[in-house]
Amino acid sequence: MKFNTLFRTILLITSLLAACGAPTAEPTAASDTSISLTDGLNRTVSLATPAEHVISLAPSNTEILFAIDAGEQVVGRDAASDYPAEALSITDIGDTYAGLNSEIIVSLQPDLVLAAEITPVEYVAELEQLGLTVFWLANPTDLDGLYTNLNIVAQLTGREVEAIALIESLQGRAATVEAALAGVTEKPTVFYELDATDSSAPWTAGGGTFIDLLITKAGGQNAGAVLDGDYAQISIEELLVQNPDVILLGDAAYGVTVESIAARAGWDQLAAVQTGQVFPFDDNLVSRPGPRLIDALEQLVRLLHPDQFN
Amino acid sequence: MRTFLVKRPFFLNACLVALTLLLSVAFGSVFIPPKDLLSALLGQISLDQTNATILYEIRLPHTLLIALTGAALATSGAAYQGLFRNPLADPYLIGVASGAGLGAVLVMARNWPATPLGYYAVPAAAFLGALITVAAVYSIARLGKTVPVTTLILAGVALSSFATALSSFFMLYSENELRRALAWLLGGAALSGWPPVIAMLPYVAVGLSVLLLSGHQLNVLQLGEEPAQQLGLPVERVKVLLIVAASLCAAAAVAFSGMIGFIGLIIPHALRLIWGADHRRLLPLSLLGGASALLLADLLARMLFAPEVLPVGILTALAGVPFFLWLLRRAKAQMYW
Repeated sequence: MKFNTLFRTILLITSLLAACGAPTAEPTAASDTSISLTDGLNRTVSLATPAEHVISLAPSNTEILFAIDAGEQVVGRDAASDYPAEALSITDIGDTYAGLNSEIIVSLQPDLVLAAEITPVEYVAELEQLGLTVFWLANPTDLDGLYTNLNIVAQLTGREVEAIALIESLQGRAATVEAALAGVTEKPTVFYELDATDSSAPWTAGGGTFIDLLITKAGGQNAGAVLDGDYAQISIEELLVQNPDVILLGDAAYGVTVESIAARAGWDQLAAVQTGQVFPFDDNLVSRPGPRLIDALEQLVRLLHPDQFN
Repeated sequence: MRTFLVKRPFFLNACLVALTLLLSVAFGSVFIPPKDLLSALLGQISLDQTNATILYEIRLPHTLLIALTGAALATSGAAYQGLFRNPLADPYLIGVASGAGLGAVLVMARNWPATPLGYYAVPAAAFLGALITVAAVYSIARLGKTVPVTTLILAGVALSSFATALSSFFMLYSENELRRALAWLLGGAALSGWPPVIAMLPYVAVGLSVLLLSGHQLNVLQLGEEPAQQLGLPVERVKVLLIVAASLCAAAAVAFSGMIGFIGLIIPHALRLIWGADHRRLLPLSLLGGASALLLADLLARMLFAPEVLPVGILTALAGVPFFLWLLRRAKAQMYW
């Protein structure tokens, strides 16, 4: 074949193939189902009976499942799920970021896979292709959203009674905090440190995040609220201007101590460092959207307003 | 025995591909007896529901995806090395990888909604990004009707850096998606199942067929562009064709499997050291050799730290480089570029 003809033929075939569309998702057959809910990706997920073999793809989901007494129904959990201690003895199915293991997930024969906002949507599609039922639980934006999520998971696992009791208890604890703070006018500025590898521009939670919400509910003022985005860097200069009253070390699990931050350039000028108002904080409490958010709230109030709440 | 194998490169490489294909399908996190597997593949028995799903919906498509990716990367690497007459050329030289990375990061940063396209938004965007970048590099480097090879490389390097900088920027300011983008950039296969294989197949098939048929043209091009032109080769047209075909292969490979390095660079060199630089032989051998090499790397990536899966890109770098150094030392004949 002459080179010219070959060239033109190839170009033609390539441009024709470019019109090949992406395969569409197969429609699922409708069946008689008693549980039908819409997940965070606007998909309708249906179960004939409450799920007995659940795989949790996020530590927050594992915590929720155990909190509503559905721990026995969990057959697989992701590598980061470490709370409660009973979760550690459940089969590890991989890590969201390093790779979830589809083979093990399929071999566990789950009737429900509970995904979270950290699960990539492509993976949800992949699991569906393998014939599994997946529910994508979106992150709540406030405490009411948390209670809604607890309800949803309870409906999926048949634990409505336990969930109602749990929600009432959580609401009660939140109300106690609110009552304790009634009439308190002074709002200490709080700097929540997520990462300070670069100590001249540490990472913190911006406005509208759950950390921001909890700090506000605990009667404080988030120093990072001036920043845009969920996670943002604040410069040490801005921090010196704001001069937070309290510093919380969310990266305490990575070896950052109260003493080590005084050694950073310029940090010893901060009021919080000078008055000793620097505390380590378990970041898992605020970064996992589960029932332990109320634990975080109570801990925050204890640190910010020790006189009002103990 | 050794002489027998060395004298029959296609036989040896085809055997290697078959072996690695079988191993790749046989090994996984869940143990399925190899005898059952073989019988099931040959159609003699049928496995139970779970094992059948694992074999046909997870392992087979993954194996084929990896084999296609390896073949695409190695062949396009060999073609680029022949085209640019430069031993350091790899499929990512003129912007495929950074363009694909930028496309993927942009989509991940904007958190596309979960429409049917949304699931495939990342590879589609990566593919488009790669092709747009190569097109931009080509049009920058073009001088009238010719494309000087040096200018192409320089433009490619410049635009690659630009695209990388942009994707770093978007990664940092994309809120939560940083880790997902990093995982993609490290070269893990982002998608599984049959749809990515089917989506990738046409582009790789077209690209590979063009490249395999261009062996003779590449041989003539090694003499230099002017001598080749004088010998009757339509040099500019050949260059365009090779760039388009090789970029199609590499873009499809990167879009569906993430960034996997070293296969495109090292496999052609290794094959050249053993069997010489005749492109009519080198290109098909690269196809086979790339497939088996990546299959082997992927197998190791899955088995070393089970149940966690290492990104393949890390393993190809770690394993590929020492192997190549060993080969260099053993090469008695002069290097064939």
